[in-house]
Amino acid sequence: MTFAHLIMLGLFLLGFWCVLTETDLIKIVVGFNIMEASLLLLLVKMAYVPGGRPPILFPAAPDAAKIVDPIPQALTLTAIVIGAATTALMLSLIVQLHRHYGTTDLDELREIR
Amino acid sequence: MKKAVALVLMLLLGACLLSALSGIPQAEYRLLHGEAPARIVQHGMDDTGAVNLVTGVLFDYRSFDTLGESTVIFTAVAGIMMLFLPGQVPLAGKGLSSMAKRSVDLLLPFVLIVGLYVISHGHISPGGGFQGGTIWATLTILMCIVYGTQFESQFIEYDAKKTLESAAAVALLLVGAVALFAGYPFLSNLAAGFPGGTPGQLVSAGHIPWLNAAVGMKVAAGLSLIFFSMVKKKSGEG
Amino acid sequence: MESALISVLLVFLLGAASAAVFFDSILNSIISLGVFGALMAAVFVVYQAPDVAMAQAVVGAGLITSFFVVTLSKTSAGAKSEPE
Repeated sequence: MTFAHLIMLGLFLLGFWCVLTETDLIKIVVGFNIMEASLLLLLVKMAYVPGGRPPILFPAAPDAAKIVDPIPQALTLTAIVIGAATTALMLSLIVQLHRHYGTTDLDELREIR
Repeated sequence: MKKAVALVLMLLLGACLLSALSGIPQAEYRLLHGEAPARIVQHGMDDTGAVNLVTGVLFDYRSFDTLGESTVIFTAVAGIMMLFLPGQVPLAGKGLSSMAKRSVDLLLPFVLIVGLYVISHGHISPGGGFQGGTIWATLTILMCIVYGTQFESQFIEYDAKKTLESAAAVALLLVGAVALFAGYPFLSNLAAGFPGGTPGQLVSAGHIPWLNAAVGMKVAAGLSLIFFSMVKKKSGEG
Repeated sequence: MESALISVLLVFLLGAASAAVFFDSILNSIISLGVFGALMAAVFVVYQAPDVAMAQAVVGAGLITSFFVVTLSKTSAGAKSEPE
C-alpha cells in the first residue's frame, strides 16, 4: 500500500462517481475511460521494481533481478488498444441514439421512452 | 437524493478496494512468486529470439491472446460498420487552409516512416504492430481533418481498407498455420523451424516480424475504418 | 528521485481526471481527458514500460480524443436539425 495505490483508488472512485451521477452519456463514457486507466496503472505498477530497467535486452542484458516484469506490460498493451475499440463502439451507439431521439441526456431519454 | 446514494455506494466500494489494495504485495511481487516471469526474463531471448521481451510475450508466449485481441478489434469494427450502414455519401468537408495542407504534406512521409519503423523494429526496440498501426491510423485521421473526408476517401478507398483488414486477419491465421504444417502446435515460433537469426538483428526472432506486420495492418485499417464510419454523413434512407 | 517524480506526475494525473469529471462543458472535459492520456504515457515511461507508453501516447492522447470530438460534433445542438 503506497501513495501510488491511493491515487489509483482515487482515480477509480472518480470514474465511478462520474458514471453514477452524470446524466450525459458522453460524460459517462469519460468516466468509464478514467476507471479503465486506473486499472492499467495498477497493472503496470505491479510489474515495477524500484530502480528497474525496461525489459529490453539490448545492447546488453541488464541484471536479471533488475528487469521489470514483461507480462503485465504485455497485458496492458492489448488492453489499451481494446479500450480504444470499445470506446469507439460506445460512442457510435451514442451517435445512433442521438439520431433516433435527438438527445444524449439520460433523463430526457427516460421521459421520451 | 441520487447523489447521496451515489456517495454511499462510492464510499462502500472505496472501503472494499482499500482492503483489497492493502493485500497487494509490493515491488517484490515478481521475485516472491513469479515462476513464469523468472523463466521469461532469463530464457526469453533464447526462447523467442526477440530482444524486446514485451514483444516476445505478446507474439510468442501469449500469441493466442494476441489473436483473440485482434478478433475483438475485428468485432468492434464489424459492430460499428453495422451501426453506420455502408453505401452512404461521406461528409464533404472543405478542409482547412492551404497553409495547413502544405505543412501536412511535408509531415506526411515522415509520419509514415515513423509508423513503418515502429512496426518493423518491434522485436528490437519499444514498439510493435499495435503502436505502429495506431500511428498509421492517426495519419488517416489527420488527413480527414486537414483535407476533408472527400479527399481522404479518394486517396484510400473504403473498400480497400475493408479488404486490408480482412487480409491482415487471414495473414495472422496463415502465419500461425505454417507451424501446423510443420507438425507443431498452432502459432509456435522457433520450434516450428522459423529462422531465429541473431537476437538484436533486424531479421531475427522467427515469425514475430510477420505477426507484427499483420497486426499493424489490421490495427491501422480497423481504427481508421472506425473513424471513417463515424464521420460519415448519415445512415438509413438512401 | 524516481519516486518523487512519480508522485508529482500522479498528483497531476488526479488533477486532470477531476477536471475531466467536474467540468460542466463536455468539450472541456474531453480535452482534459486528452491531457490525462498524455500524462498517463509519462507515468508509464517512469514505470519503465516504454512499449505501453508508446501505445498510450498515440491512443490516449490522439485517437480517443478525436473519437470523442467527432461524437460531440455529431450530437451537439447544431446537428439536431437534420430531417427525418
